[in-house]
Amino acid sequence: MSFLFRCEDIGKTYGGVVALKDVSIGLESGQVHGLIGPNGAGKSTFIDVVSGKTPGLGKVFFEDREITGIGPSAMRRMGISRSFQRTSIFPALTVRDQLELASHGAGGGHTGELVEMLGLGAVLETEAEEISYGQQRLVDLALALVGNPRVLLLDEPAAGLSSQESAAMAVHLEEIAERWNVAVLLVEHDMDVVFRVCKVLTVLASGRFLVQGAPADLRNNPAVIEAYFGSTA
Amino acid sequence: MANPSMTHSFRDSPVLRPSGLIVLALVAALVAIMTMTGSRITLSLFAQAAIISIMALSVGFLARTADLISFGHAAPFGLGAYGTALIFRHGIPAELGILLVLLAVFALFFVMGLVVGKLNGIAFSMLTLALGQFFFVAVSKLRAITSGADGMNVSVPSSLFGLPGRTFQTPDGMLVIASVVLAALVIAIYLFEATRTGRLAMGVRENEERVLFLGYRTKLLKAAVLATSATIAGVSGVLFALYQGFVSPEIMHWSFSGNALIMAILGGSLAVWGPVAGALVFFFLREWLSDLTEHWHSVLGAILIAVTVAWPGGVTALAKVVRARLTGRKQGEAGK
Ligand SMILES: Nc1ncnc2c1ncn2[C@@H]1O[C@H](COP(=O)(O)OP(=O)(O)O)[C@@H](O)[C@H]1O
Ligand SMILES: [Mg+2]
Repeated sequence: MSFLFRCEDIGKTYGGVVALKDVSIGLESGQVHGLIGPNGAGKSTFIDVVSGKTPGLGKVFFEDREITGIGPSAMRRMGISRSFQRTSIFPALTVRDQLELASHGAGGGHTGELVEMLGLGAVLETEAEEISYGQQRLVDLALALVGNPRVLLLDEPAAGLSSQESAAMAVHLEEIAERWNVAVLLVEHDMDVVFRVCKVLTVLASGRFLVQGAPADLRNNPAVIEAYFGSTA
Repeated sequence: MANPSMTHSFRDSPVLRPSGLIVLALVAALVAIMTMTGSRITLSLFAQAAIISIMALSVGFLARTADLISFGHAAPFGLGAYGTALIFRHGIPAELGILLVLLAVFALFFVMGLVVGKLNGIAFSMLTLALGQFFFVAVSKLRAITSGADGMNVSVPSSLFGLPGRTFQTPDGMLVIASVVLAALVIAIYLFEATRTGRLAMGVRENEERVLFLGYRTKLLKAAVLATSATIAGVSGVLFALYQGFVSPEIMHWSFSGNALIMAILGGSLAVWGPVAGALVFFFLREWLSDLTEHWHSVLGAILIAVTVAWPGGVTALAKVVRARLTGRKQGEAGK
């Protein structure tokens, strides 16, 4: 089996503290791959290292070509895109202006369909700092989706949305993955959502790889329950 | 289906809206009336204020576009002024020479922008301060070229850019010339902000990291913004040299950089024209205060502190509040 996007032995140390060690994940086109684990497990760190936000260890491959360290700008132009857990948008620009900026940066691409899908039509002419937090999250996601990327690394795109909104978003993501044949890595803490849209799950705990498999197989995995649901179960 | 077009054009630029055009016409009329009725002293003050406004505009442009605070813009100003004096002395064709001087300023600061591209905030400000002082010391010490502290005369040629050279040295002539240059630069900046590159520059200021994650490279753009700002300061220096007919190291002193920065802060960066308003307020406040007291600098400093504390957005913030009040009242009346 060959992966569109493959990360090998990703690691990161913050001032002597190991935040992530030897985590490998491969993403397939047309699938949503869930990355789950308790708070502080290293999910964001994983995306930050492979996307070039922070320096770290390990290797990254796209279409079997090593692209480790080429930087965010080159990755995006290649079709590898990400969103941010801490909303990262342009407060003083209108929603329209920032989508246009994203579209041009990605080498063109329609934004109309995206605007409609995410329900941003009513706030297009509004500066991003004036819209609700939930809408800002959608703008963050839209910036990542513009220009039909081939790989999407999404760090809790539904954080801050109501549970209906986040369920709706997950359905959209599944649709995007299938319709555009995109490889999606989705960090999401709502387990209902994760089990509904993800074909594969990777579970992290304390910066280590715990287990990987189909959602149905992991639901009753004692190690996962212990690491993930331990406190609530 | 709603598929709003994502294209923009200059039509969106505030400067081309009726209100922008009316302001421009008013300013032009004001300058015209002044040249016909103003005394020589008044005209000279306004001519100097217009030249200094261009300097403030350059500092404000950098702050607004790149969020960078320069403590060293006396350097490009001084390079423009000294460059002009030097090309005239060495008999280089004047128009070409001035163009070369400005090009050299652009190139120098473009390279500097590439080198220090990663610096921002205090680090950038400190570096500009140091660089400014370097040029100040350089023009003071390089006596063979610049005559050091004695300064240099600027022998304006008999004809320059199709105008008699003298026009650049008379108060009414320079008032008109500097006002036209100033207006052209303000309009150019407004138009630039309406372009895709202009919005990219705003994006970089707002959130450079995300701009990188959208597939852009930002290094060249940032260097170009710094170089453009420095070149505008250079233009101001050229006009200064032409008008005064004399340049000396004081114009490269850090305190002049500081004054330009104060003007930009007084004006605020909510609008392109902010620094121009700030420069006018600063300039005439200083004239007025220095008549009243020799401690004008302390009084001005106190006023500045009061303004920045009570009213951080400067003149442009006030304008925004006033406009909101005005349009609010209009809407209220329309609702009746
Ligand atoms: N900038 C940072 N400096 C120091 N430690 C960090 C930093 N970012 C994350 N960490 C640590 O790395 C670990 C993993 O964090 P993170 O990747 O954000 O977890 P998750 O996204 O799974 O909640 C945590 O222990 C966190 O405290
Ligand atoms: Mg996280």
